Amino acid sequence: MSEDIILDIQNVTKRFPGVTALSDVSIQIKRGEIHGLCGENGAGKSTLIKILSGVYPYGTYEGKVIYDGSELKLEGGSIRQAITEGIAIVYQELTLVPNMTVGENVFLGKEPSENGAINWDKLYAETRDILRKYQLDVAPQAVVRHLGVGKMQMVEIAKALSENAKILILDEPTSALAEAEIEKLMEILETLRSHGVTCIYITHKLDEFFRITDSVTVLRDGKTVTTQPTGNLTKEKLVSYMVGREMKERFPKGNRRPGEVIFEVNDLHAIDPNDNSRHVLNGVSFDLRRGEILGIAGLMGSGRTELVTTIFGEYGKITHGTIKLEGQEVEMTSASDAMHKGVSLVPEDRKRQGLVLMQSILKNISLANLDQFSKFFRIDADAELAASLQQAKNLAIKAPNLLVACDSLSGGNQQKVVIAKWLLSNPKVLIMDDPTRGIDVGAKYEIYKLMNELTEKGVSIIMISSELEEVLGMSDRVMVMHEGASTRILDIREANQERIMALATGIAEN
Amino acid sequence: MAVSTDTGSKKSSTGLMGELGKRFRSNMQTYTIILALVAIWIFFAILTGGACLQPQNVSNLFRQMTVTSFLAIGMVFVIVTGNIDLSVGKLAGFVSVVVAYFQANIWYNLIPNQPYVAAVLSIIIGLGVGVLFGVMQGYMISFLQVPSFIVTLAGMFILTGLILLVTQGKTIPANQAGFDLIAQGYLPPLVGWIIAAIVVVILFWNMTRSRQRKRQHGFELPSIALDLATTIFYSLLVIAYVWVVNQYKGVQVPVLLLAVAAVIMSYIANNTRFGRYAYAIGGNREAARLSGINIRRSIFLIFILMGLLAGIAGIVLASYVGYGTIAAGQGYELDAIASAILGGTSTLGGVGTVFGALIGSLIMTSLTTGLQMLNVQPAWQYLVKGIVLVLAVYADVAFKKNR
Repeated sequence: MSEDIILDIQNVTKRFPGVTALSDVSIQIKRGEIHGLCGENGAGKSTLIKILSGVYPYGTYEGKVIYDGSELKLEGGSIRQAITEGIAIVYQELTLVPNMTVGENVFLGKEPSENGAINWDKLYAETRDILRKYQLDVAPQAVVRHLGVGKMQMVEIAKALSENAKILILDEPTSALAEAEIEKLMEILETLRSHGVTCIYITHKLDEFFRITDSVTVLRDGKTVTTQPTGNLTKEKLVSYMVGREMKERFPKGNRRPGEVIFEVNDLHAIDPNDNSRHVLNGVSFDLRRGEILGIAGLMGSGRTELVTTIFGEYGKITHGTIKLEGQEVEMTSASDAMHKGVSLVPEDRKRQGLVLMQSILKNISLANLDQFSKFFRIDADAELAASLQQAKNLAIKAPNLLVACDSLSGGNQQKVVIAKWLLSNPKVLIMDDPTRGIDVGAKYEIYKLMNELTEKGVSIIMISSELEEVLGMSDRVMVMHEGASTRILDIREANQERIMALATGIAEN
Repeated sequence: MAVSTDTGSKKSSTGLMGELGKRFRSNMQTYTIILALVAIWIFFAILTGGACLQPQNVSNLFRQMTVTSFLAIGMVFVIVTGNIDLSVGKLAGFVSVVVAYFQANIWYNLIPNQPYVAAVLSIIIGLGVGVLFGVMQGYMISFLQVPSFIVTLAGMFILTGLILLVTQGKTIPANQAGFDLIAQGYLPPLVGWIIAAIVVVILFWNMTRSRQRKRQHGFELPSIALDLATTIFYSLLVIAYVWVVNQYKGVQVPVLLLAVAAVIMSYIANNTRFGRYAYAIGGNREAARLSGINIRRSIFLIFILMGLLAGIAGIVLASYVGYGTIAAGQGYELDAIASAILGGTSTLGGVGTVFGALIGSLIMTSLTTGLQMLNVQPAWQYLVKGIVLVLAVYADVAFKKNR
């Protein structure tokens, strides 16, 4: 073969007790290319990366990995060896020490030293050189804590490159980035490509494959489906490779007939409770009808989450504006207050905010509604169980029983538990903050169906989403936010991706 | 149907042993610690030629564990919410000297010939001091947001000073007639048997009622044999205990008090919102907050409860030793923390049981008294306690890793 292959994964199979995570996977990655890796959750992407980084050492899998001409034989115990070999990974969750400077982070664990003392001048000079070479716009002496997520990502990349990485694996690098920062990251990747660094790029956002990658490999159920030059692919093709069938209908059609206005927010302004000078909301107005889904779109940092947590009484201090529920002006001072008034919030991050992971499904579902089952001080365990079982049935939570701890469930099922918890209080208004983040296509579909059923029963839903297609596929109307303010509410018939993006980035004023 | 209507065990095709195995696995930690306790007892029984299992020694062992056990069952709640209380030992000590002071210097002059009234008033004051201190510390921790480690460390210093101020460096007697009964009293054998009978009846009644209600809701029932076996096992334990201590002087009053307190605390942990909230706060504070739980209020109440239990511990301590001393309660907080952790309470929060803490406390006391009976130097008691604690937690960590 004439092509220069830097990484040749040959028939790799990785078995765990009970499951085969990878079966006979073969991928060839050319030197200097950006190679996309694509697949649903559980398709085997992370297992593959763990093999390349030495988390699953040589010998624990079948097949061969040929790296730069010889077989890769990593010992277990530490990912150090992979880094020395030139394979570096930038993870989804950043792994920097916030209280240290950029330079200290870049050289963490390999500080240049003389006679046992760190040579600080050398450390900062070398950091500066690396940052310059790849056009990363960060100051070597800046403290990481003060940087934005986008810059932290740059530091993370610099850290990987400081080891003379030949292959850089980026695991969902844009999941926490705003559009402008994604743009910057794409530029950085271009620079890396021009310096001959090979990248493996993993993302859930399909359009990024088309923006940056040279070729894409699709994994499904632990098998390689195909590797193709990006130019030969379309989004539709990619999706059909991922799910193994043509996705005719990603968003189930509901039979919604929005009724009268039930919830109104009028010119809401709010400040950060911990920092009175920071304005988090600068005028948000919208109304919500009975049985309607109102989508909220906007970039990261546009105030979407701040808006709903403020409405829910758990974040911003309202300085101006009114909230009306069923025509009555209401003030929600805490989560329990909001719930009693009929407003529920499915929070953004199910692991951090939604679930007590170590506890059972049962305890998680009933947690927010124990007063329903309590007589004086005592919890009526039977009533609690009966009600939770009913919820689990309605939502088709897949688990052997309700005493299973939530940390053993899949992302989709965890999300269903969170939703079950919030439905138990019989909300009139259900706020869902990114309800399908990080769950696979099948589970997404079930959640969409559930949303349709709820609205048909007269529940009104406010849905925040980072995926424009989801907003367009599920909403009756779309409110776009920009810098803490609502710009316009679009009827679904007049909304499209371009219009929403124009409003969200502030290019278009209404 | 994705969810089976069954909550605990799977279809009974696996049979009694299968169910037993499942129950064992889900409560692995509790059973491991009970096995450790039995092993320690057997070890000492062999070395002392059976002397440590004589009724008098068993009776004393359980009586000795009471003071730190009151602290340990409160400490479970504190640690479960992700907090710590370093002041409880000194708080119990302070309560004991205050109670002694009132008996020796105040009631003696105010109401000279009424020992029982004096005893009751002393108890009320002791509990009041404990609760008041709990309120103050709890307020600072929950509402002023000062870390519990700092607040209670400061509390420990302050209480040490207060103890010195009250005692003026002297030992104060606390030996009113009646007051000594709290820690040194015994129930007549017949009363012991009546209590045992009541407990057994309650155990069986509970079992039938729980089965009845499960049936009402249409849930699958655990096998009757297993339920019966469990209930009979616990009943036999209670009967055996009363039989043994009745051969000495009878059921010990402080042990009875501890049992009542433990049952109440266990009930609070499992069957009330307050208890559930404590576990949720320790498990995931953010999720608890967004679930509408008033975190500050919960933690405030937990420190008040801890203060109340420290008050009880202090009263029992005063009655047990018969006077208040400057060293009262020294180091008890560490025994209480160790007991809770030995009993499976996670220092990360969210996990722990009252029952486990009691077993943990029993292990710690067994080690002390067992080594004392063997005339081992006190230095070794500390070494052994330290090693057992680390080993127990390491075994737990290793077990969880290999699961």
